[in-house]
Amino acid sequence: MGHNEGEHEQERDDLSADDSLWSDDVWSEGDEGSLSFEDSGEGSEAESDEPEEAAVESDSSEDEVAPKNTVGDVPLEWYKNEEHIGYDISGRKIKKRDREGRIEAYLRNADDAKNWRKIYDEYNDEEVQITKEEAKIISRMLKGKTPHTNVDPYPDYVDWFEYDDKGHPLSSAPEPKRRFVPSKWEQKKVVKLVRAIRNGWIKFDKPKEEPNFYHLWGDETDTADNKRQGLSYIPAPKPNLPGHEESYNPSVEYIPTQEEIDSYQLMYEEDRPKFIPRRFESLRSVPAYEKALREGFDRCLDLYLCPRTRKKRININPESLKPKLPSKKDLRPYPKTCYLEFKGHSAPVKSLSVEITGQWIASGSSDGTIRIWEVETGRCLKVWNVGGDVRHIAWNPAPDRPILAAIVDHDLLLLNVEVGSEEVQMKSKELLRIDESAPEDDADDKKPAVRWVKNEKLDGITLIHHKAVSNVDWHFKGDYFTTVVPSGDTRAVLLHQLSKKHSHHPFSKLPGLPVAAAFHPSQKMFFVATKKFVQVYDLQKAQLVKKLESGLREISSISIHPGGDNVIVGSKDGKLCWFDTDLSTRPYKTLKTHSKDITSVTFHRKYPLFASSSEDCSVYVFHGMVYSDLNQNPLIVPLEILRGHSSSDGRGVLDCKFHPKQPWLFTAGADSVIRLYCD
Amino acid sequence: MDAGGASDASRQVRVRFVTKLPPPLRAPPAAIAVPADLSRMGLSEIVNSLLLAAEPDHQAQPFDFLVDGELVRLPLRQFLIAKGISAERVLELEYVKAVAPRKQEEPCPHDDWVSAVDGSNPSFILTGCYDGLARIWKDGAVCTQVLEGHSGAITSTRFINKGVETKGSLHVVTGSKDRSLRLFKCETSVNMDYQKRVGAYKILRGHTSSVQSISIDPSRNMLCSGSWDSTIKLWAVEGSEEDGDTVSLKKRRMNSDSSGPEESQLEGSATSTLLGHTQCVTAVAWPEQQTIYSASWDHSVRQWDAETVKETWNMVCGKALNCLDCGGEGSSLIAAGGSDPVLRVWDPRKPGTLAPIFQFSSHSSWITACKWHPSSWFHLISSSFDGKVMLWDLRTAWPLASVDSHKDKVLCADWWKGDSVISGGADSKLCISSGIEIV
Repeated sequence: MGHNEGEHEQERDDLSADDSLWSDDVWSEGDEGSLSFEDSGEGSEAESDEPEEAAVESDSSEDEVAPKNTVGDVPLEWYKNEEHIGYDISGRKIKKRDREGRIEAYLRNADDAKNWRKIYDEYNDEEVQITKEEAKIISRMLKGKTPHTNVDPYPDYVDWFEYDDKGHPLSSAPEPKRRFVPSKWEQKKVVKLVRAIRNGWIKFDKPKEEPNFYHLWGDETDTADNKRQGLSYIPAPKPNLPGHEESYNPSVEYIPTQEEIDSYQLMYEEDRPKFIPRRFESLRSVPAYEKALREGFDRCLDLYLCPRTRKKRININPESLKPKLPSKKDLRPYPKTCYLEFKGHSAPVKSLSVEITGQWIASGSSDGTIRIWEVETGRCLKVWNVGGDVRHIAWNPAPDRPILAAIVDHDLLLLNVEVGSEEVQMKSKELLRIDESAPEDDADDKKPAVRWVKNEKLDGITLIHHKAVSNVDWHFKGDYFTTVVPSGDTRAVLLHQLSKKHSHHPFSKLPGLPVAAAFHPSQKMFFVATKKFVQVYDLQKAQLVKKLESGLREISSISIHPGGDNVIVGSKDGKLCWFDTDLSTRPYKTLKTHSKDITSVTFHRKYPLFASSSEDCSVYVFHGMVYSDLNQNPLIVPLEILRGHSSSDGRGVLDCKFHPKQPWLFTAGADSVIRLYCD
Repeated sequence: MDAGGASDASRQVRVRFVTKLPPPLRAPPAAIAVPADLSRMGLSEIVNSLLLAAEPDHQAQPFDFLVDGELVRLPLRQFLIAKGISAERVLELEYVKAVAPRKQEEPCPHDDWVSAVDGSNPSFILTGCYDGLARIWKDGAVCTQVLEGHSGAITSTRFINKGVETKGSLHVVTGSKDRSLRLFKCETSVNMDYQKRVGAYKILRGHTSSVQSISIDPSRNMLCSGSWDSTIKLWAVEGSEEDGDTVSLKKRRMNSDSSGPEESQLEGSATSTLLGHTQCVTAVAWPEQQTIYSASWDHSVRQWDAETVKETWNMVCGKALNCLDCGGEGSSLIAAGGSDPVLRVWDPRKPGTLAPIFQFSSHSSWITACKWHPSSWFHLISSSFDGKVMLWDLRTAWPLASVDSHKDKVLCADWWKGDSVISGGADSKLCISSGIEIV
């Protein structure tokens, strides 16, 4: 108890010091004589036994003491007139105590200094004395302070954190290892997801982004991105919008005069204007439009019946589709203009040939003459009357053998041109000498393919063939030459040796009739053009090397590039094929240029030029560059169309040949003129 | 003055006529106003009327007008605009006599195409013909001598000695397609009644193909020839006759039947050969003792040193060339024409450029011959396959005159006596256009 008293003293001191309200002279006479807890029972005793503990451990000490009365939370007026105030835990009535009188209360108050702390508990019908601590708390709360003195609501702020001289703001501990190790769990999760994506369990179809706003006044139908599934939607064409003239009260200039209206009657029904503007006083007076129903019906018919298709149109500049060709200026020189005409023949000039130095040309014509012309002046130097249609002519390419091979009627004629120095002339005379007593092996019952016979009249040699000869070509060394007999047997292509006066037919049967044959310009190769194919033979091994398929209807002429790897053939349907024999057996390029038969194609010996002549009286000149680099395809550029020859009997230009050294082209025409085109 | 008068005045140009002609043709030097749209003819009329006023017996004649060394070929106003000359100041018009042939002489008929002509002798004309004969025409009218011997067409002929130093005999060289050159000597005292036939006294052999062109050096001792065998050979006119004789004897023995009736003939061989061209040498010119120019179908013009027989300069022009002549100022310009209708003039003294300084392109076909006037620096003629001979002045791009007397290709042309143009062509005629006054 002594301990308690000491505490109470302390409290009273505190109260008197703190509280002026409670320290009026009546209540403040402190008498520490005794505590009047006798009548308050055990409960209050117990309550007051450990006040400090209760204050420390819990906010309300009442919760721990079960109330004596068990009536619950009912208004106490119900028990006002009763004897009891309620029931205890075992159901017995708790009797009301007798209220002490006012005098009694006053006396006790005056006796007991602690009476002021006694409070009447109506619920339990008892008087409770509150402890000093409780009174203190109440008085603090009444003042608006915190109930407990130890709680300081506004403590001074102590900044425990030290900002200075620390490398790490919070902790200088090293980063733990797990922050650098990939998470195992995450990895597992990712693997799972990846597998799900791979197997297609997870599908990414992004939700379409709906535009937040839409074009309120726009026409839905003509938006470009209005694409529907299936058939493409084509919006219906819009009817024309009404204009000013359709107003009920249009301006005066829209209204036709009476004459104009009358003149409409003279027009055709469909030319007449559909609507004649009129003026009305007001919109009210406008009559019903009598064609409204009809036009609506027509419009519906249009929409229903008129097929609407979407036309795909690509805007491409047509120039950009053209292949890029070098400019003609860069490809000069090439023949352009005719400056010289060689006139003298009286019938179509069938063939011509240029001497290897380019000083003379020879021409053969249907009038039965072979003429030698001087290139420089166009003068005819020599005329041989061979008395037959000269169909082909070829000048020996060896400069020391001025010998002409000409096909006259059916046979081949070798002529000495008699140009050049005396020695050259002697030599060629020697070459053209032939022993009449040439032994002919008659053992063979077959007619020999060729007989070499001296031609007395023209001082030359005639090679009598078993059939008509169509083509002759010289080997570049000038000793061998070939003739082509368009027949189906093995004797169609013949090789002749001038120095030995010997002929033989080395080739087996050809696939079709041969048209022309040509020697390779530098190697021991030989080209035979049949109607559809070009056969390339190796002369040394006497075997077929290549077979070029032209795809043309009928080949008419062939020319070999001076390099030997490229061949051009002209056909009777006006097409020209360029073969690159290294590239393919199919044509590298097919040029459809002429409208009629190509009569001759030819390469230039020095310049990258080639030309084709045709029955349509035109000659095409092309640039045909062959590169030594095998990876680069030949470049073909059309350069010039040479016209000037006139047609005769439906025939045009019959032959064309380049000058061997200059970029000039000779053309032989059916109009019996030879023209020289110069650069 | 009304408005019309003002506009009239604006279309007038004040000119002063000056000339270097002798006094009877000298107009008063006062400046006069002439209409601006006058052309050469109108200006010529004014000058003639001015001269007539000064001298009553003046014969009217055409004049040509020069402004700053350029011939007036357009109406005056257009000319001034084209040249950017102000019409404000007084224009000095220098007038010269118009250069044009006044007269066509009777053409001299030949048996075949006339392929070569030489007019360097004032009293004789030398022509070469496709029948292998060269002819000498006295005063351009009568054929007095026929030089025979060639078996092929003659391509080039030249008088070796000049007219003043003939000393009674004409010295002639001819080149032919039979690969030889022949030298002839014939007298100047001629009988006009019949044609004397003259044989060659010397044959120069060595070319392996047609001889295309001959030129004589200024000292008249050497000649050079260009040929189809793409060489140029130099020959001595005189000298080394012993050597030539032996060759000729040997030859004669070999084919005695052909040379039997002929008189003793000398044969000569080339002293040196100029190699370099790759195609036929169509023209050679020897304007100075040191230098030879040659033109070829390989599109090049080359300059050779005659002494060292080396090529000293060359130029590629892009066209096959047929003719070449040196002349002009200090005879240093080269005129050449070829396988296109353009006559080009180069100045080899200009370093670094191969562009022609003049191009005359009024012809319509190949140019076969071009010749500078022997004394004038400005005038040259050209002949072409289009049948025309054109007269050119360097001071204008238009031809001064065009001679149309040929009916076929013109193969050769030359000046004669300084005032005539002679030309031969494929119509087998030698045409002479005379009366060209070049001062």
